[in-house]
Amino acid sequence: MFIELKVVVRLLSYAKKLTWKFLFLYFFVNSFLIAQTASNDFNFFSPLHRLSFGNHLYFERDYLRALNEFREYLKYENQDTARFRFAECFLRIGRYQEAADNFKGLFYNSTLQNESRLAYLEAQFQSGDLNSFRSIARQDIYTSAKYSREIERLYYITHLMDNSTLPDTNIFFSVFPDSNKSNVRNFYQRKKHPEYKNPVTAAVLSGILPGLGKIYVGEISDGLTSLIATGVLTLLAFDNFKQSHNFRGWLFTGLAAISYTGNIYGSAAAAQIYNAGIKYNFDNDVKIYFEKRNYFLPEKYF
Amino acid sequence: MKNRQLKYLLIILLLSLSYPVKAQSQHSIQLDYANTLFSTRQYFDAITEYKRLLFYDSSNAFSYTANFQIGKCYKAGAKFDDAIKYFSLAELNANSDEEIYSSKIEIVRSNILRKTTSRALQILDELEKKYSDKEKIDSLNYWRGWTYIFTDDWKKASEHFAKINYYNELKILCDRVEKEKVSVTFATVISYILPGAGQIYTGNIFSGFLSLGWNVLSGYLTLNAFNADRVFDGMAILTLLWQRFYRGNVQNAERFALEKNIDVANKTLNYLQKEYRGTKP
Repeated sequence: MFIELKVVVRLLSYAKKLTWKFLFLYFFVNSFLIAQTASNDFNFFSPLHRLSFGNHLYFERDYLRALNEFREYLKYENQDTARFRFAECFLRIGRYQEAADNFKGLFYNSTLQNESRLAYLEAQFQSGDLNSFRSIARQDIYTSAKYSREIERLYYITHLMDNSTLPDTNIFFSVFPDSNKSNVRNFYQRKKHPEYKNPVTAAVLSGILPGLGKIYVGEISDGLTSLIATGVLTLLAFDNFKQSHNFRGWLFTGLAAISYTGNIYGSAAAAQIYNAGIKYNFDNDVKIYFEKRNYFLPEKYF
Repeated sequence: MKNRQLKYLLIILLLSLSYPVKAQSQHSIQLDYANTLFSTRQYFDAITEYKRLLFYDSSNAFSYTANFQIGKCYKAGAKFDDAIKYFSLAELNANSDEEIYSSKIEIVRSNILRKTTSRALQILDELEKKYSDKEKIDSLNYWRGWTYIFTDDWKKASEHFAKINYYNELKILCDRVEKEKVSVTFATVISYILPGAGQIYTGNIFSGFLSLGWNVLSGYLTLNAFNADRVFDGMAILTLLWQRFYRGNVQNAERFALEKNIDVANKTLNYLQKEYRGTKP
């Protein structure tokens, strides 16, 4: 401790004795080094750092923040990868129109022409306007030779997702990988021959025998209940008329008539509900199946 | 030591001071910037800046602070899953026992708000095993009390606030809620015995007397029909009227009791949210 103090005292005393030469040397060298460090000062917001941080956010799937970083970077520099990722961020956060517009900018004179065309079509597809997607996917300027198979698959998948006419089976199945063909074939058959129930048939059946229409649409317990209820009410009406209880007879006749007509209407409605359920389940199954496989598109383009 | 050596030593000393101070200050400036955004409630931007700081913080000097603050931002934005994720990261990067404790408490608070109260209680139990000083035990009881408030168990909440201080403001509040609440079972049972009594018990006097009136009338009509040997009429009135009013009276009593309890709890929660000045989850 004593020795250290001694050194400090000596240093101070020496500092007092600094000549103008030393002072000049100190300020010259230090100012030079500070200038150097200032130029090397870490700038969190330099374009290059924004790009690095943007890429980090992009890989963390924090697309909204990555978007801002790429935007700032692209104000100063032009780089295809950054521009592509900028567009892809829009795609991943569901801003499909902006994604499509930005992918379009990479269609020409870019190293990512093929990827941007596929991603553009993905944005069109994800936007939900399947008719527009189908018309664009058939135009040469939007398609890519490198990803023709992916585009073709996406094109055929759309036919399972709306009311468009299904293409021929040979062409349809040929674009899907062998491992998925049986599932796709199943979807195709379900779409082409949906197991719908005819509401008119259900109503007519219930007209012939109360509850039969409900049994036809698979609501067996409802059908039997309707049959028993209408039957009991009719029997009560008949019995009361027989016993000359006319008021009760008419009361039960009215109730039986309501039950009978209500059952006819109910059977037709049940068939419609059944059909809606078939369609909903089909749409849901298609969506889950293809979404799980990302519609056979790359999860990340590069 | 010779003068020449001292001279060099002094030069090196003066020069070596400048760089680390400057390098450090850049990160501190970034932290200050993020903190400013946080304090002005610009949580989205604050998260971006904390994340930027984390990304360029190669020495992990700001890992705890930045992760902790990101957690607070997400919590303020009611994104409790993300908040818990970042508080857990803060806990992993904590430099002291106190920082670990703070992170854990924030995880508890987020779990309370997320209504995953069983997890909050589990963490509080773990902390109680680890810490024994009064200040921390009081804090654990405080958050346990809040957890029970969010599970609508005001009695248990009161018990835990009482452990801190018998005259604790929150303890008194919980007791008041417990006193104001009505028993759903009691309301249902007395409605079975005397139609309308359950509604009257829950404070719905008009509805209670109306229910009683309907039941008396439909009961009278049923008995009258049976007495006059009009069995069919008696059965029809019994099933279509009396049974409907009797069942309706019991269901109403139960519903009114539940609604009253929810109302009492909501009023208190509203007070706690807007008026209570103490620390809240």
